[in-house]
Amino acid sequence: MLWIKNGIVIDPKNGIEGEKMDIFVKEGKIVEESEVNKEECKVIDASNKLVVAGGVEMHSHIAGSKINTGRSMRPEEMRVVRNVAGKFRAVVGRVLLTAPGIGYEYAKMGYTTAVEAASPPIGSPHTHEELDAIPILDKAALPVFGNWHFVFKFVSEKDQEKLQAFIAWAIERTKGYGVKIVNPGGVEKWMYGSNVRTLDDEVPIYGVTPREIITEVVKANEALNLPHCVHIHCNNLGVPGNYETTIETMKLVSGMKNENRPVLHVTHVQFNAYAGSSWRDVSSGAEEIAKYVNKTDNITIDMGQPIFGHATAMTGDAPFQFTLHRLTGARWSNKDTEIEGGAGIVPLVYLPKNPVHALQWAIGLELGLLIDSDKVVISTDWPNGGPFTEYPYIMAMLMSKRMREKELERVSPYVQKASSLPAIDTEKTLYEVIKMSRSLPAKILGMENKGHLGVGADADIAIYDINPNEVDPSVEYELINKAFRKPAYTIKGGEIVVKDGELVAETWGRTFWVDATKKVSMEAIESDLDEYFQNYYSVERINFGVDERWVKKPARLEVK
Amino acid sequence: MMLILKPKKDFEVSVEAEITPDLAEKSEEEIKNFEVWYGKYKVKLGELFEIKKEGDEKKLVLEGDFSRVKWIGRGMPDGEIIVKGSVGAHCGAFMSGGKIVVEGNADDWLGAEMSGGEIVVKGNAKNLVGCAYYGDLEGMKGGKILIEGNAGNYIGEKMAGGEIEIKGNAGDFVGTEMKNGTIIVHGDCGFVGGDMKGGTIKIGGKFDLLPSFKKAEDGWVGDINVGGEGKIVKI
Repeated sequence: MLWIKNGIVIDPKNGIEGEKMDIFVKEGKIVEESEVNKEECKVIDASNKLVVAGGVEMHSHIAGSKINTGRSMRPEEMRVVRNVAGKFRAVVGRVLLTAPGIGYEYAKMGYTTAVEAASPPIGSPHTHEELDAIPILDKAALPVFGNWHFVFKFVSEKDQEKLQAFIAWAIERTKGYGVKIVNPGGVEKWMYGSNVRTLDDEVPIYGVTPREIITEVVKANEALNLPHCVHIHCNNLGVPGNYETTIETMKLVSGMKNENRPVLHVTHVQFNAYAGSSWRDVSSGAEEIAKYVNKTDNITIDMGQPIFGHATAMTGDAPFQFTLHRLTGARWSNKDTEIEGGAGIVPLVYLPKNPVHALQWAIGLELGLLIDSDKVVISTDWPNGGPFTEYPYIMAMLMSKRMREKELERVSPYVQKASSLPAIDTEKTLYEVIKMSRSLPAKILGMENKGHLGVGADADIAIYDINPNEVDPSVEYELINKAFRKPAYTIKGGEIVVKDGELVAETWGRTFWVDATKKVSMEAIESDLDEYFQNYYSVERINFGVDERWVKKPARLEVK
Repeated sequence: MMLILKPKKDFEVSVEAEITPDLAEKSEEEIKNFEVWYGKYKVKLGELFEIKKEGDEKKLVLEGDFSRVKWIGRGMPDGEIIVKGSVGAHCGAFMSGGKIVVEGNADDWLGAEMSGGEIVVKGNAKNLVGCAYYGDLEGMKGGKILIEGNAGNYIGEKMAGGEIEIKGNAGDFVGTEMKNGTIIVHGDCGFVGGDMKGGTIKIGGKFDLLPSFKKAEDGWVGDINVGGEGKIVKI
């Protein structure tokens, strides 16, 4: 039992904005004062400190074949030793951390939940093995659907019933959490040597278009009432002029509604917010996107904010990664072209003086600043945009125009003419930034017990050494940047795992997965599955996927 | 002060000792307690070596067989190291100044990613002289490596500056992905200059030319596969 005393609480979900409060924890949950025996409580003095829910990472690449391939193709990353074995496990990696380091570093920043944003279904046993190697965090993985042949087949047959049954089957088999689509149709077309360029380009053999794939998959996701909405990596990622495709994609769900969450989450939008016609005249399309997102109520995005320094591009979007490899001359690796998706990996460094990199950096911030804070989540799309450990930098930048002015001095002047960042006066409040990193991602993911401090929530709590009623983030941005890197406490499931920025205990979180199989009739797709596995798969159907007992601490969420 | 080290025994496993001439200026106590790795154990320098100080130069003299001692002179900025015997791998890696003289043979990764200073090996050197470590973009960037005997494969891979001179023969893949600098092989060698972008390779003896080099006035230019402008010159 814990008694967190006199903290200054910010809890956007419950409308608490800097109130002095006590919080009580029992058996891993936040409870009423009357539930605990105060004499048996461990007391944490949080006077003049900020108390918030643990951070929720909704888009990061923390486990599976591409992050692991990234590690093996970047030996230079592995020379940075972060922690030698002893009390905690050994960790190496500059930006590409090894599995235990992911858990440690998120916790050391006050984050307690993280979702792997793209898991190739046939690789799901590997994804779960890696998730199981990440300590502390609660985790989940999103299998990729947008280039899966079954999806093409059922979409081309316009058979919603089969599509829904298939999605429910696939999520259960992979122990996945929701539906991810990556460059729908484009990765399949890449296997024939090209890519889709518009929402109406046809996928070879199946004749379906990205427009149809997205629309039908969103419909299926809504009919199944999955906790998380469709999570999309749009077509034309990384292509100048692509902001139009992004807005066109968003328009596909206009008119659709869900009471509890958005209908579509568009991820790492920075990479999909470019205006212009080539890398010579590229500029920001963030304003257009912000205008559209702000006027709708069923779409959310995350930033995909680039951080200057080392990164590693890795997405399930192999054609884009191939383009990036040709553009930068850096080495690359292509994963899984023979299966349900395809990933590419390219080492990358973002340089402040490089006009394109500086513009990407500015676009990420524009999105964060121009979009309402209940529609945009903080992310770097780790490791694509850079290290997630720089979230405190992003938070401070969103809250301080002065800090942005200072940073603008060191970046390429190209930003001045190609983006609106220098002219943006918006300064997000601490409350808004907490929302963008806690309650909003939890809401989009449909994780009811995450991202807030109400009674019944998981006791995932971060305590920072700042007093929200006294600090002025607009001026004291350095303090903000520092404090969020070094929580006074991170509490995961009621246990103190970080104290004064240092790891003090290693715990093991759960892996959430969603079971929607009761909502569909599996018989509808039995013969399709059998036929496909017999003819096209290198594994037997019986061997495909992950059994619940293989997962270290599974947490099944049944969809009613 | 000149510092003289002698191994107390034949080492059963490799010693990783990042010893540089700076050590000579430390007190005897500090030198004895300098930490090195003996296989998987951290030990003190004094446990493995006899230590003697004399003279007044900033100099390290290594007497005996150091062929299982790795990282000698790693990152040294100045001073001198004389090895009266052979050295292990990574000798002079990352060094930026000063001089290392090896009277015997050198192992792999000699002068890897060095940026300045001089290394002289009187015997032979193994592979990867002046190379980039795996995953890094540039190998040796400055300074000079002279090998009086023969050298192995992958000499000067990704080299970006400085000079490597080999009096004897070298193996295959000399100057692979070379960007700048000079490699001189007085004897014979195998394939040279694969994917080289710039720099010069001078060869005295026989060598294997790749088909991706085109004839130029005083030798060959390539590697045209990567649009390179490196030169291969016969001396």
